[in-house]
Amino acid sequence: MSFFGFDTTLPRDKSGGANNKGIFEHTNPFSEVAKARKLQAFQNKEEDVLDFDDTYDGLGDRLEEAGDDLNDDTFGGGAEGTNDRGGIGKDFDFFGNTAQVSNVIEEEAMRFNLQHTPREAAPAQPPKPKKTGYEKYQDPGYIPEIQAKSSAWTQAQAQAQAQASQPEAFRVNTARFAAPAPAQSHPQTMAPPSGTKMMSLEEVEAALLAQGQAAQAAQAAQAMHSPFPQPQGYPFPVQQMRPPQPYPPIQPPMQPPMQPPIMPMGHQQGPPPPRAGSPRRHNRMPSQPVQPVQPVQPSQLRPAQPPLQILQNPNRPRHSPQPSVDRAQGMPPYGPPPGVSHPQLMDLSDEQRRAYLEEDAKRAKRNHKIFMLSKGNGLMTPQDKNFITRIQLQQLVTATGTSADPNPEAALTEDFYYQVYSQIRGAPRQHPTQPLGHFAQTYLFQTGSRTGGGRRQHANGDNHMQRMQQQVQRAVEAAKLKPKNKQLIIEGSLGKISFSNAKTPKPLLNIKRQESSDARPATAKKEVSASDRKTILKNIEAVYTTLMRLEDHERTMPPPPTEGDADSIQAHLDWRQKMQELNSTLWQELKVLDPIVPGAAVPHPFIAFLSFAKGKKAMPRIFRLIDQEQRLTILTMIVVHLDQLDVTKDARLAPGETQPPPAVREEIELFSQAVMPCLLQYVNEAPINIVIGLLGLLIDQTNMATVAMTKIGLGMMTMLLTRAELLKESGAVSDPEWQQWTSLYNRLFDLLEPLLGSLFPGPVNSGDDMYIWQFLATIGIGASPEQQQRLVIGVKDRVMETVQQSKTLPPEMASVRLGNVNLFMRAIGLDVEMLG
Amino acid sequence: MLFFSFFKTLTQQTVTVELKNDISIRGTLKSVDQYLNIKLDDIVVLDELKYPHLSSVKNIFIRGSVVRYVHLPPDKVDRGLLEDACRREAMAQKGKAA
Repeated sequence: MSFFGFDTTLPRDKSGGANNKGIFEHTNPFSEVAKARKLQAFQNKEEDVLDFDDTYDGLGDRLEEAGDDLNDDTFGGGAEGTNDRGGIGKDFDFFGNTAQVSNVIEEEAMRFNLQHTPREAAPAQPPKPKKTGYEKYQDPGYIPEIQAKSSAWTQAQAQAQAQASQPEAFRVNTARFAAPAPAQSHPQTMAPPSGTKMMSLEEVEAALLAQGQAAQAAQAAQAMHSPFPQPQGYPFPVQQMRPPQPYPPIQPPMQPPMQPPIMPMGHQQGPPPPRAGSPRRHNRMPSQPVQPVQPVQPSQLRPAQPPLQILQNPNRPRHSPQPSVDRAQGMPPYGPPPGVSHPQLMDLSDEQRRAYLEEDAKRAKRNHKIFMLSKGNGLMTPQDKNFITRIQLQQLVTATGTSADPNPEAALTEDFYYQVYSQIRGAPRQHPTQPLGHFAQTYLFQTGSRTGGGRRQHANGDNHMQRMQQQVQRAVEAAKLKPKNKQLIIEGSLGKISFSNAKTPKPLLNIKRQESSDARPATAKKEVSASDRKTILKNIEAVYTTLMRLEDHERTMPPPPTEGDADSIQAHLDWRQKMQELNSTLWQELKVLDPIVPGAAVPHPFIAFLSFAKGKKAMPRIFRLIDQEQRLTILTMIVVHLDQLDVTKDARLAPGETQPPPAVREEIELFSQAVMPCLLQYVNEAPINIVIGLLGLLIDQTNMATVAMTKIGLGMMTMLLTRAELLKESGAVSDPEWQQWTSLYNRLFDLLEPLLGSLFPGPVNSGDDMYIWQFLATIGIGASPEQQQRLVIGVKDRVMETVQQSKTLPPEMASVRLGNVNLFMRAIGLDVEMLG
Repeated sequence: MLFFSFFKTLTQQTVTVELKNDISIRGTLKSVDQYLNIKLDDIVVLDELKYPHLSSVKNIFIRGSVVRYVHLPPDKVDRGLLEDACRREAMAQKGKAA
C-alpha cells in the first residue's frame, strides 16, 4: 500500500480472480503514476478550496504517525495534509479499490437486471443511499469528500453495509450520488487523450465545482426529482446536477455516440471506474436487507426509475457474456454506460431506441472481439518473429532435403522418384531440379509480402528477406557440415537411442545382418544350376544396377576436352574408361555370350533374361548404351533363339484357341513394344549381308512351324524381308549377295508354304490379323510370279472370307479389314476391288 | 524417403486412404510430409452409412501412422521408374550399411 492507500496490486490480481485477467495487459505502466499524480492534484486542489476542519472526521487522530518522516521528501509537503485527513489514502483510491469490488458490482447488477422486472427494481433504488456511513456529513454546508469520487462506490459501500442499521439522512445519499459526477466527467474530458494524461487544473476545478454544487443541489434534489426525469430521463442525481456544471464538455447527452470508440482506451483511466459501476450499483443495493428502513425515498425516485430499467434491460445482452463483465470491472468505461445514453434515448421512438441499443450492443461485441483478438498483440517483437521464421525455414529446408544444395546429386538420391517423375511428366508445381529451393522461396516470398505489406516497409522487407535467405543458407550448410549422428550408444545400455531426423523420421528397426551367419544356407547352395527363376531375377537385377550406374555415369560426362587442357582431357579419358568398365560389366551380366548349348533343357541365360517382363523392359535402355557390335550380337541371339523366346514358345495356340492366354499376350505386347523397336532400329541400318546372315540363322536354327505361328516370329521375318527389299530397291545390293538372298528366300518360302493356311490363328472374325497380312505382303513383294500364285492359293480362302465378312461389317471396320487384305493383294499386284 | 518422394508425385490426385480403423476415405491428396501424414481435400467416406461421423468433414489431416493402405490411381504411377527408385534406395541402403 502506498501512502495514499492505493492498492498497488493490479486489479486483475484482486478479487476478480481469474475472470478479470487480461484486462490490463495493455495497461500503460505509467498510468498508475499518472493516477497518483492526478490524485495529488486533486488533493492539493482540495486544500485550496475546502475547509477541511469542517470535514474532519477525526479518523486522522487514530493514525499511526510513525514512518511518515519521509513523507515530505516523498510528497513535497503533501504529507501534512495527508496526515490531517487521516483516511485520505483510502479515499483517494479511485481505482484499485473500485476494481476490487467492481466485478462484484457488475455481477450483482447483471444478476439483478436479469432477475427483476423494472417494476420491482424501481422501489429498490432508494434504499441504497440509506446505507452510507456518512452520518457526519449531514451538515449541508459540508462538501462531501471529493475523494469519494472513487471510494464512494467501493469503501463507502463497504461501510454502508456495515453501518446499514444506522439511520441516515437522504442528503448523505445525494452526496454519494454526487460523487460520481466528476468521475463521470473524466471519461469525457480525459478519454480521448491517452491514459497517462493528467487532469488539467481546469478540469479538476470543474470537477470540484460540480462536487460542491452537487452537495447543494442535493438539498434541492427532492424537489428536482419530479421535474427533471422527464426531459433528462436520467434517474440519478448525478445527471440532475449536470446542468449547473460550467464546463460544456462534461455534458453527457452530447457524448454517448462518441463514447464507444473511446472504450478501448478507457481502461487506462484511473478515475472512471466508478462510472461504470455506479448505475448498476443502484440496482445492487436493493438486494440488501436494509431496504425498508427509509420508505420515503422510493417515492422520490420512483418516477425516474422506469426509464432506467427500460434502458438497462436492453443493455443486458451486451453485458451478459462473461468476458464483458470481466472487462467492465477492470476497465470501467467499457461501453457507453447505460446512464449516459439514456437522455438521448428518451427522445427516440421505441424502435429507434431498440435499433440504437442493438447497434450499441453490436459495437460493444465487436470491440470485445477485437480486444480478445488483440490480446497477444505486440507480445513478440519483429526480431522474435524473424527468429522463429528462421528456425522454421531451416527446419523446412533440412527436412525436405537441400534447397541450397549446390549438388543436385544428393537431392536426386534422396528424392529420385519425385525428381525424375516430375521431369518426365511435368512437375505439378515445383521446378524439378530445385523443387525444395522453390518451396522455400515460395515461403519466403509469402512472408515477404506479409511483412512488406506496407509500402513504407517494402525496401526494408526485401532487405530483410535477403538476409533471412542468406541466414537460412548458412544454417543449412552448417547443418550439413555437422556430422550426422544417427544414433547414440550409451555405454552399458542394451540398445541404441536413435535420433529421428527429418529425412529418416524414425528408424524403428535397426537391423544389422550378421555376415557370419547365413540365414539361408540351404537355398544358397543349390544356386549353381544358374537358370532357375531366382537366379534369372538376380541376373536381371544385376543388369539393372549396372544399367543405372551407367546412366548415372553418363550424366556426369565431363565437358568435351579442350585442346591443351590436360585436366579436361584426363577427366574425359577417366570418364570413358569408367564407362567402358561399366559397359563390359553390363555385357557380362547380360550373359549374351554364354555358350549356347544345343538342345539344353534350360534356356540360354540371355533368353531367360528376356522371358521376364523387366528383362524385356531393360532392352531399350541397354541398346542405347551398347555399341553396334553388341547390338548385332543381341539381335543374333534373339534370332537364333526365336522359337525359344517365351513370346513365341508360349504363344503357340492350343487347338481351339484363337489367341494366347492373357499373360502371354501381355508379354507379346511388351516385347513388340520394348524389344522389337530396338531390333528394328538396328536392322533398318544393317547391310544386306547381315540380313542374309540373320535370315539364314532363322531358317537353320529355328523351328519355322513355331516361329511362323506367332506374332513376334512373323514380325521378325517381316522385318528382315522388308529390309532386304528396301536394300534391293536402293540398289545397294550386289548381284552375288542378291542371289544369296534369293536362294534363302526360296528356302523360306518353301518352308512357309504348307503353313500358309494355318497362319491365321482363328476364324475370320477373330480380330487382329493385320500383322499376318503385313507378313504376307512382304512375302508377296519378294516372291516370283510363280511363288505369288502359290501364295494366293495358300491364302485365297482367307482372302475371300475376309472380303465376304467385311460386307456384313459396318463401313469403318470393313474398310480396315479390306485395307489389311489389300495390303497383301497390292503386294502381288492385285486389289480387293477385283474380287468384286 | 522413397515413399515420401513417391507420394509427392501424387499430389492433386484422387486417392483412397484406408485407415487402420477400417475407415476408407477418398479425397484429393493435398500434401504429404516425411512422416507420410496425409492431407486430403473434398473427402468422402466410402462406407458412409457405417461411418457417418465424417460426413460433414470437408478436408482432413491423417496422421501417417494410422494409415493402412493408400489406393492409388494406377496410371499416375510410373512403375519402371518406381522400380528404379527402389533399386536406388536399396543401393543406397547397401552403401550405407557397408
